[in-house]
Amino acid sequence: MFPGSFPVGVRKPCKWVNLKNTSITTMPVKAIKTISSARNGVGAFILQCKRLDFHYCNFGGSSRGMLSFLTKDLAAFAREHPQIEIRVSPRPAKHPVIKGHYINGHEKAICVRNLEPSEIMKKTNILKEANGEKLKRTKKPVTSLNESVRGIWSPYHGDLRGV
Amino acid sequence: MKVNMARYEAASSASVDFLDRNREPPLHPTNNRTISSPQFALSLRKGSLTMFSRSVLRSFASDLRFAAPSSISAAPFPQRACLHQTAWLRTTQTQSHSAIPDTPLGAIPRVQDTQPSTPTSTPNTTTPQTDADFPNAKKPVAPSFDAPIEVTKSLMSTLPHLVGQSPHYVVAELHARPFLLTEGDHLRLPFLMPNVKPGDVLRFNRASAVGSRDFTLKGSPHVDERLFECRVRVTGTESEPLRIKEKTKRRQRHTKTAKSKHRYTIMRVMEVRVKTPEELLEEGAVVVEDTEDTPKVEARS
Amino acid sequence: MKRLQLQRWSSTALSPRVRTNNRLHQQLYSTGLRLQSTVSPLQSESAISENVEDASFQNPDAMRHIRRAHKRKTQLQYPSPPVEAATQSAKLAALHARLYLPSRLPLQTLARTLVDASADSNVDFNNESLATLGHDLLANYTSEHLICTYPRLPLSVTFAAMYAYVGPKTLAAISKEWGIDNATVPGGEVDPGFLQFQRVAPGTAVEDISQLKSARPYADQKNWRMTVSSKIFYDDEFGDAIKGSVALGQGVTDETARATFVRAVLGAIYLHAGRPAAKRFFEQHILSRHLNISELFNFSQPARDLARLCARENFEAPVAKIVSETGRKSRSPVFVVGIFSGQDKLGEGSGSSLMEARERAALSALKGWYLYTPINPRVPSSMEEEGAAPWKPAHIDLGELLPTEDG
Repeated sequence: MFPGSFPVGVRKPCKWVNLKNTSITTMPVKAIKTISSARNGVGAFILQCKRLDFHYCNFGGSSRGMLSFLTKDLAAFAREHPQIEIRVSPRPAKHPVIKGHYINGHEKAICVRNLEPSEIMKKTNILKEANGEKLKRTKKPVTSLNESVRGIWSPYHGDLRGV
Repeated sequence: MKVNMARYEAASSASVDFLDRNREPPLHPTNNRTISSPQFALSLRKGSLTMFSRSVLRSFASDLRFAAPSSISAAPFPQRACLHQTAWLRTTQTQSHSAIPDTPLGAIPRVQDTQPSTPTSTPNTTTPQTDADFPNAKKPVAPSFDAPIEVTKSLMSTLPHLVGQSPHYVVAELHARPFLLTEGDHLRLPFLMPNVKPGDVLRFNRASAVGSRDFTLKGSPHVDERLFECRVRVTGTESEPLRIKEKTKRRQRHTKTAKSKHRYTIMRVMEVRVKTPEELLEEGAVVVEDTEDTPKVEARS
Repeated sequence: MKRLQLQRWSSTALSPRVRTNNRLHQQLYSTGLRLQSTVSPLQSESAISENVEDASFQNPDAMRHIRRAHKRKTQLQYPSPPVEAATQSAKLAALHARLYLPSRLPLQTLARTLVDASADSNVDFNNESLATLGHDLLANYTSEHLICTYPRLPLSVTFAAMYAYVGPKTLAAISKEWGIDNATVPGGEVDPGFLQFQRVAPGTAVEDISQLKSARPYADQKNWRMTVSSKIFYDDEFGDAIKGSVALGQGVTDETARATFVRAVLGAIYLHAGRPAAKRFFEQHILSRHLNISELFNFSQPARDLARLCARENFEAPVAKIVSETGRKSRSPVFVVGIFSGQDKLGEGSGSSLMEARERAALSALKGWYLYTPINPRVPSSMEEEGAAPWKPAHIDLGELLPTEDG
């Protein structure tokens, strides 16, 4: 079998690898199937907030600011952010609520009772800019998928250095 | 350039009304606005690009060395307008200049009609107002591109080694804090950056070091911003969980609770790239002789 | 250079009038007359609307009620939402804006990309034709990127890398990252912003879904060995056996439907906005994803492979040498072994035994060889841009170590 079956073959068997005992039926390289991981913003950027629900009550006093926000400011907001689907629906006898739905499937809700339209706009922006993740306390500012560029320090390399 | 200058005039003379400034939504990638904000679009001090000591260059088995795909970084998207703000860096307003993409930040001499001024404060904040309130390292530095970039011969000879070895990293400094960034990294700033919104592309132009696996270009104290490009995209805002601190006083039953919930800007590094010597020459770089304190590409020991 | 009339091309793919006999239009045009808004209608509007106009009630409320009921009835007769519904859907418009799709790509076509063939068997209203085009574009762009960037990559790893970039699993993940939701059941009254497909019935075996349609002789002999080179010829771009189309009424899996949708979006962009836009979309959404190719290798005998590689390339036979070591007699020794071919060090690795360190060193040497990248690699399709620099072929030398059974 060996070495006649080599198309581009080995000239002579190397001593340090015992070729005769290895079976040649296996392929040299096999591959592992994985999927590539997303890096939102490196190429295309997708806003993580995909839907905003505005709930209001026509009767309740706590919805007064919400009602004026819906009639005056919401159209401009929707025009500025075409990538967000906006739903407005009444919820009688309840406080007004804004709900954000995110691409990762999570949902965030903010109650905006008795708030002025400008304050409601701020809350809407909070929901718009959020990414839907659970709030976490992190200490490291940078998280990376890449390997370390300079490699990991090794104590077995390099010269001894004086203290 | 005329247009830019006109914009700058308008921006600096107008009262600060950026909060209700109408901004067109990023409908299409070509509309990606680039934002300059004085605190972050920091420019370089002149003469910081300086020197290079020759060092032992490892060329052993260079073609056997693993190199990551560099096609994305090597071919930046043409519609990604180059962020540079030499003319109106001193204004506090964010500027959108999607309509006219500017020439890339080159070494072409630019007009400096006024002296750099301190950042003006916004009317509705109570942040530090005067120049003295800012520590020196945090102050925005006005660009001093009245002269083309000066590159030493030794740098020109060693730069290809750094450029050819990807991936690259950059130690970008924001508010005098270093962030070690590579392409595709997720960056959560330790503060909320004002006047940016999701989708904005920023260029970090102050770096203390740019390097690859075996080579590092160190600045003294910063690398000239015309030598590299580091772009990040603002992807949104994050918040920390609500922290509640109980404040007690002696012999008092009352307990005060102090709440805090900070918000942070999150970003994604789009590109970290070192310019090739050819690009530098195209942009008008001047090759000068080596001197004592030139910046250098250091090889790994 | 004269520009091609893209609008014409798209009309070829979209219009019910033009029906060639290729595989895009295999299925019969069986359903009743349905019109797409991007093409002019063949006949005058159907008599349904006239009937509604005839019944002219004085009471506007009753009139509205009747209209609504009528609309619902017309919607219900089709298996997928009517074309007019596309402009009414907030979900669809939001999706269009979220992906920064070009304005030349109409909402109607985007709605069509969301209709799977299992939901609507009519080829003029499902995304099959667009997906076929998008699939070819994806495979082309990805393969040329991989081959030009890593010219020495072994074929099996190339297949795995293709799968990682544009495999159905990845495409399904992408569609989730775009915020696409599934419709529970497809139908005419569903919001066109949902992905519509017929699900596989629970309990169906995965093999039953698609019949194998491989051209490979003796394809049903599962135990026979298949060489890597034969996969180029017989199999798809991932080195897997080609799957046949799903039988009518069978349903598809969630993953398949989502992958088809992403492919159809790329095909639609190509048709409506042209090649540069499609290429840019591919680069921004597919190529910008993170994949560490060096993790795809799975060597079984790295030292043997390296010896064979050196012999083929006329390098000196590789020799493993200890670079440094510590604690040989302790219970946790560390050896650093380098593999040298003559004076050149090919690779280095560390391990707690000499054998382990040597294997790792051979591994790093092989990966260094296989993952060679030319400086500034260019892909052939970059020549399609206007004003492209003249093509200079990259220096590509001998590639992978051939498996023995291929000979």
